[in-house]
Amino acid sequence: MSPYTLEEVVARNYLINERPDVILNIIDGTNLERNLYLTTQLVELGIPVVVAINMMDVVEKNGDKLNADDLARQLGCRVVQISALKGNGVMEAAEAAIEAAGGTKTIPMHTFSGPVEHALAHIEEAIVHDLPEEQQRWYAIKVFERDEKVLEQLRIPQETMEHIEKDIRAAEEELDDDAESIITDERYVYIATVIRSCYRKQHAGEMSVSDKIDRVVTNRWLGLPIFALVMFAVYWIAMVSVGAPATDWANDGLFGDGFHLFGNGTQQYEAAVERYGDTDAIIQAFAKEYHMEINEEAPEDSLTALLAAVPVDAKVTYLTQDEETLEPQTHPDTGKAELEAAVQEYLSTENGYKTNTGAPDPAGYGIWVPGIPVLVERGLDSIGAAEWLKGLILDGIMAGVGAVLGFVPQMLVLFFLLAFLEACGYMARIAFVLDRVFRKFGLSGKSFIPMLIGVGCGVPGIMASRTIENERDRRMTIMTTTFIPCSAKVPFIAMIAGAIFHKSPWVATSAYFIGMAAIIISGIMLKKTRRFAGEPAPFVMELPAYHWPTLKNVLRSMWERGWSFIKKAGTIILLSTILVWFLSRFGVADGTFRLLGEEELELSILSGIGSVIAWIFAPLGFGTWQAAVASMTGLIAKENIVGTMGILYGGTETYANLARVYTGLSAYSFLVFNLLCAPCFAAIGAIRREMNNAGWTWFAIAYQCGFAYAVSLMIYQFGNLFVGQPHVFGLIAATIVLCGMIYMLFFRKYQEPVKRTVRG
Amino acid sequence: MMPLSYANPREEAVIRRIGGSPDVKKHLENLGFVAGGTVKVITALEGNVIVKVKESRVAISDEMARKIMI
Repeated sequence: MSPYTLEEVVARNYLINERPDVILNIIDGTNLERNLYLTTQLVELGIPVVVAINMMDVVEKNGDKLNADDLARQLGCRVVQISALKGNGVMEAAEAAIEAAGGTKTIPMHTFSGPVEHALAHIEEAIVHDLPEEQQRWYAIKVFERDEKVLEQLRIPQETMEHIEKDIRAAEEELDDDAESIITDERYVYIATVIRSCYRKQHAGEMSVSDKIDRVVTNRWLGLPIFALVMFAVYWIAMVSVGAPATDWANDGLFGDGFHLFGNGTQQYEAAVERYGDTDAIIQAFAKEYHMEINEEAPEDSLTALLAAVPVDAKVTYLTQDEETLEPQTHPDTGKAELEAAVQEYLSTENGYKTNTGAPDPAGYGIWVPGIPVLVERGLDSIGAAEWLKGLILDGIMAGVGAVLGFVPQMLVLFFLLAFLEACGYMARIAFVLDRVFRKFGLSGKSFIPMLIGVGCGVPGIMASRTIENERDRRMTIMTTTFIPCSAKVPFIAMIAGAIFHKSPWVATSAYFIGMAAIIISGIMLKKTRRFAGEPAPFVMELPAYHWPTLKNVLRSMWERGWSFIKKAGTIILLSTILVWFLSRFGVADGTFRLLGEEELELSILSGIGSVIAWIFAPLGFGTWQAAVASMTGLIAKENIVGTMGILYGGTETYANLARVYTGLSAYSFLVFNLLCAPCFAAIGAIRREMNNAGWTWFAIAYQCGFAYAVSLMIYQFGNLFVGQPHVFGLIAATIVLCGMIYMLFFRKYQEPVKRTVRG
Repeated sequence: MMPLSYANPREEAVIRRIGGSPDVKKHLENLGFVAGGTVKVITALEGNVIVKVKESRVAISDEMARKIMI
């Protein structure tokens, strides 16, 4: 009980100052020798002690024998055998503790060697004789060990201390070691004799199963490949095979239009959509070419008229757009045959086609369950709710709730897997395997997991940082995880690559490399700031034996984390979504303040804010209100950037317009800024949840935005210099930023760690 | 005498001395590293080692392993 970590300090202070009625000391039966070390100290406190030996099921399975009565006699306190995993004996332990609470104080059976006992007797007599009798021994031993906090507490007079010091030094000389080590050593020797007499090991000297597994799993050559394989499995299950369909269902089904119950009808619907293809676009193109109007209410006549008007050798070009990235695709030389097929498809009255537009309706196939927003909308319509109220509930509140709950299925899958890895004992080994690599830039070996998960989605990524024990490492990981482009940023990356860079694959590749570089650079720089000062704690951890976890424990751990996300992160996500909805859908149009249509975004309050702050981004090459607004809507969800750009840069012509407005440099700078700046509200909510501190959350967001700004500034300004069009002031600013970064990376010294002082 | 980082895997060794600041020393002793006790290196990874000491498995970093002399 010499406090090393903060938790130990708290525990020790509690035992000494609060003096509980009873101590229930739960120890690991597979590892008695180490655990009894604490027990020998607890029995000296003069508080009734009950020892509960846990993991007895494992002990028995190994064929080991423990004589509990003998152990109890030697320790001088009650010993109960339990298995928390199986639930055996837990009640007995609790009952024994209650019984002991009223009973006599535990008297330590162990005596130290002659010289130590001699000194202890002197100390008891000289210093602690006025303390209650049962506490004297513990204090005497601590004084002998020269425990700073105890000495401080006892306020021993100078001359008494000198007298005692003589006794301690005599013992040290006789046993040729310092007082603290003497005590530690004698305790271990004593424990060894206790164990020899009451514990019989079946396979003494043999390698245990855990040792064998460790030899493979943490092997110098196999360690990393095995880790990569396990991580790939986690990523694949959580993000691809189970997670993605689950999230799609929650976002597009439950909180979208609706879904087919158990996938019933999905196939038929998809086949119908496939067959329908570009029908609408083809008909529109011909109608435009030959100046015809299609009457959607009664399409037959107008379509027949269109067919009649189109000559046999007619050729038109029509445009389609990718739903996710808005990428345009031209289909030249479309002839009359295609039109005829399209008209037939349009007029096909097969069950399930929408009556007015002609596109297949998913509700017409299989068993269709409408999404919650659809049901709410129907309800609101039936009571005749106002347009703005409908908007608030559907686009504000429902979208916010959906954003929170949409991530939950995926996250539960991930938490389940992480809980399993933790419970079986592998997680502790991961830290060991990766520690050398990540230690170099101030992160923990376990930081890799959040970053990998972050490739799929930053929210569960941030939540996965929970497994990192060291607080500094964990905060650093939380702050840097979202630099990795998540899957929601992919459509945006594809849009910039397609519109400006001729679909170069290098854009996406570089995005991932920039993300990784941002993590490394941030790690090194932040490590040198006062907030993260100090060497990472030397890596010392006990590795639990491998064992098969119970489903109940894994499920409970999964649920606890999932629920805490819904509760704590949910509020922030919901409120911010409603706020941005309000800002983007209200504004002054035609002289009145009113709810705007979806296409009137440029009149909204948000675009007003955008124009006010746009100048900030001028040095980065995209100082337009459109870019500012797109970045802000990206805060709701990063894929929104694409949608906003689509509205602001003219629908089908988006790619062409983007190519006109942006140069390669400004587009890339815009891309990088949005990749690195503050993540979406859901992720910010997760950061808030994991930091559990508003100050740190703001610091994280400010750092991310500041870092994104600095990197974009350098890209744009140095890029301009490179192509021979330097802006003097911008270049000076970029040079200053670059020098600052180089200084932080290579020249600045690590700060002295701030010593944690705890008053005892 | 040599630091634990250089110990041969799978061979049992006797701890001769534990160095470092009193804090570090105490922490290592609490984990079961005491002079005269035995340790066995299970795996070593660039100086970081997993050892078996007093019936438990402990992973320690290079910096710490160098303070334990065998």
